[in-house]
Amino acid sequence: MYLKELSLINGASGDEGRVRDFIKRTIQDKVDEVWEDRLGNLIAFRKGTKGNRKILFAAHMDEVGFMVTNIDEDGTLLFAPVGAVETQVVVGKQVKIKDSIMGVIGFKPIHLQEKDQLLKPIRYEELRIYIGARNKEEAQKMVSIGDYVNFVTEYRQNGRRASGKAFDDRVGCSVLMDVIDKRQRYENDVYFAFVVQEEVGLRGSAVVVEQVKPDVAIVIEGTIAGDDPGLEKDRWSTHLGEGPAVTFMHSGYVVNQKVFQAILSVAEKHGIPHQFRRRTPGSTDAGRLARTGPGTASGVISVPTRYIHSPVCMIDLEDYANTVLLIEKILEEGEVFAK
Amino acid sequence: MNTKELLVQLSNVDGPSGFETLVLDVIEPILQKFCDRTWRSGLGTLVGEKKGSGKKKIGIFAHADEIGFVVTKIEEDGFLRLETVGGVDPKALLAQRVKIYSKRKIVSGIVGTLPPHLQKEEHRSRFPDYDRIFVDVSFDEAASEVRVGDVCVFDVKAIEVNGKVSGKALDNRAGCASLLLAAEFLQRMKHDSDVYFVFSSQEEIAGPGAASIAYELRLDEAIVVDVTHANVKHSVYPVIKLGEGPAIGVGIPVDYGFYKRATEIAQKHGVKIQTEPIPGRSGTDTDQVQITSVGVKTLLISIPLMYMHTPVETVDPKDVEETARLLALIAAE
Amino acid sequence: MIELIKKLTQAYGPSGRESEVQKLILEELSDHIDGYKFDAVGNLLVWKQGSSGKKILFDAHVDEIGLVVTNITDKGFLRVDAVGGVVPHTFVGHRVRFPNAVGIVYVEGETEEERKKNWTNLTLDNMFVDIGAKSYEEAKSKVPIGSFGVYDSYFYQMGDYLVSKAMDDRIGCAIVVELFKRLSSCPNTIIGSFSVQEEVGLVGASVAAYTFAPDVCVAVDVTDSADYPKAFKRHSMVLGKGPAIKVKDKASVSNRQIVEKLVELAEANHIPYQMEVLTFGGTNAAALQRTRAGIPSATVSIPTRYVHSPSETVCLSDVENAVELLIQYAMKGV
Repeated sequence: MYLKELSLINGASGDEGRVRDFIKRTIQDKVDEVWEDRLGNLIAFRKGTKGNRKILFAAHMDEVGFMVTNIDEDGTLLFAPVGAVETQVVVGKQVKIKDSIMGVIGFKPIHLQEKDQLLKPIRYEELRIYIGARNKEEAQKMVSIGDYVNFVTEYRQNGRRASGKAFDDRVGCSVLMDVIDKRQRYENDVYFAFVVQEEVGLRGSAVVVEQVKPDVAIVIEGTIAGDDPGLEKDRWSTHLGEGPAVTFMHSGYVVNQKVFQAILSVAEKHGIPHQFRRRTPGSTDAGRLARTGPGTASGVISVPTRYIHSPVCMIDLEDYANTVLLIEKILEEGEVFAK
Repeated sequence: MNTKELLVQLSNVDGPSGFETLVLDVIEPILQKFCDRTWRSGLGTLVGEKKGSGKKKIGIFAHADEIGFVVTKIEEDGFLRLETVGGVDPKALLAQRVKIYSKRKIVSGIVGTLPPHLQKEEHRSRFPDYDRIFVDVSFDEAASEVRVGDVCVFDVKAIEVNGKVSGKALDNRAGCASLLLAAEFLQRMKHDSDVYFVFSSQEEIAGPGAASIAYELRLDEAIVVDVTHANVKHSVYPVIKLGEGPAIGVGIPVDYGFYKRATEIAQKHGVKIQTEPIPGRSGTDTDQVQITSVGVKTLLISIPLMYMHTPVETVDPKDVEETARLLALIAAE
Repeated sequence: MIELIKKLTQAYGPSGRESEVQKLILEELSDHIDGYKFDAVGNLLVWKQGSSGKKILFDAHVDEIGLVVTNITDKGFLRVDAVGGVVPHTFVGHRVRFPNAVGIVYVEGETEEERKKNWTNLTLDNMFVDIGAKSYEEAKSKVPIGSFGVYDSYFYQMGDYLVSKAMDDRIGCAIVVELFKRLSSCPNTIIGSFSVQEEVGLVGASVAAYTFAPDVCVAVDVTDSADYPKAFKRHSMVLGKGPAIKVKDKASVSNRQIVEKLVELAEANHIPYQMEVLTFGGTNAAALQRTRAGIPSATVSIPTRYVHSPSETVCLSDVENAVELLIQYAMKGV
């Protein structure tokens, strides 16, 4: 499992280089071919024994983060989110700018807030990153507009739980890397695509179809759980510990029925615990793959992840292991195709 | 002593109001190097005595407690509800890691958040308050050890940000650090007054820790060292800047003569200071100490601190050192 | 103990007018104490001497919330203000007992609109008391301005739940009284503080410990019980799980050593107990701890439903277990 290493590498949308380097280094001797395309996606190929059809697995390398947009007179930095990050998870956090400069995101002390300000949602223009510069000049020597900013979060594991940043979608990347590690050859040609810029509009995956021309695709994601006291049970999306979540529909796409049923029957046949992704908001690269070129029937399998798009996410490691297992079995069975 | 290291060490130890023992355990051995004797009071306060010729008794106070939380209810499936101890802005709590001190183990938790599209309509336009906030301890196999009443703090390690130190609890570990540095300075100085270094308890909840010591020791004068908001505009007050030295209070809870003396001493010895007007209560231990017993002549010195009551409180170690120097000079005068 | 609780809760004792209750308490205790006195603000202090040199003070406040007459209309109706944290809704249509009369509390409303507005935003300002007087003079002679009134609400039982006005804090008083009655050969000096005016600002407790210099103070009061529909979601206290050992409320944090000792003694003696964090409110412990050079203090609470209403409800076994726990603490706490 590569989740720890992947989680600690900084790589927001558009800045995935370090993630790509790590993955490439690790897998290149285990696959037949690996290449980086014009957008920065990393695509790997393992030939099939029969090679009659092509199956594509995709996971995105980018995490949500921030970008320095301006430098204030007092030496603090203005910033904007890269990908969807709610301001509510940003206050009181340590961050790193361009993978080297430490900063903190504070807020107006509670003593100085108006009563009605206490629970009002915060806007990005109210927030600043403090890097210890006394004024604009000093700050300009340290950072530049356009620099990337990432959360700083230690990776931790305890029993069956793991927590850290960027599980969406380093968890997907790690799952694919584990499948590659098994060094199994299957009937079908298998493509593993580690794509870029998913969080900012499913952009990397847009150019994969033309290069690979897959017959079917399965996207591996970290998906929302929602299984906490904030929601009643019947409004959860997924539940940690119930196994990989299979999507039937998400924003902008209904999963091809045959693909969806095939995934479920493989899981049932092999007794792999699994669940449905029970809420439909949120989108994945499957939506892009379905709409690009000739279109590709795609399924989505996800590892339930609590507190997604925040600096501290949490997964259940048995859900993770069952996700890897499910993909292996799908590859063994070889019959997840849409026609 | 290295100021930055001391600040980091003190920031990383945990001690919310009413539960300061661990903090005092770290401070006491350091304090003992510079004092004739040290002791702890029944109300959880640590005192170090450094005798002079007994001309008068001066106490130097810094509260050792930090803001924190306490577990109020254990829900199913490894979730907890919290109450704040001292004023913690719920906005600084979301998506944070926390530590819960159960009797035998420290349990790790995450304050969870719900993405907006899963939230109920009426919740989307309002920040979660303590009734909506929950802690996820399902991460930790020791989660079942947690009980109602267990104490909880931010799980954050202090860091350096371009020479400044940022971490939790610098309100008021920065003050505590300045007291320890002052005690170190005082070692090399002669002083007539009997000096008492007091690391008091429960300031964040307006508890009796500091005032009780002032009463017991029958102090003549008291200097309270706390923190004040830095680099933030508020209302009609001057902006206190990080890195420009301690802020001396003038006004209701401060004895004017004492204030004048302090500013003269600062000027004489080249200690850069800022001024903080206080037209009412200061919101620090000074308020209660001043009106203890027959009254105590009080002075308030505040270390500039950014982002108060969040896990990223930030101070400039130079300010802490200058505060310590000023304290020693006043005590030795 | 039920008779004692009934007697004490039914007695008349709003903040500032507690003497009737204190008299009853003295009668109950006369054979069980070594001495008593009333201090300058009216606290009743009793004690039982021990030989160890250590002193423990147990406090229960004698006063209850109520109403005070501030004005009389020319038709003989009364205007009132709150004494302590009174929720006006709990008085509407209910009766209030004065020393010489009983009155009915109701709401003004000259028009449909005004009625609606007043009932939605209920305050004592738009309420009045009817004692059946036909004139200003008659009202004045029965209930002059400055008279204090309390809920007129009887005591009854629902199984082992006891219901009455003023469980806050006559239940605490009953517990401390029972403690003195059952304590024999205690090594420590035990002081009982039956303090006044807690509900209007912890007044009595601010000075009660002044002359004694106890080593610790333990307040005995009520706390919320969150076991009815949509009760406070962050509270864990319920009826029947034993006395609550308070960790924190809005006014103070209990001394950690005392809390741990109480837990230790409860477990060693198999006394059921629960831990308590209350997200509002305070007890006399907050004031006692500030006496002189400060005294370590804590609170043991009785979970109570519907606090500050005419029907405060406690569980008898919680009360009896509280007495057991405090006896243990009195004997071995310091």
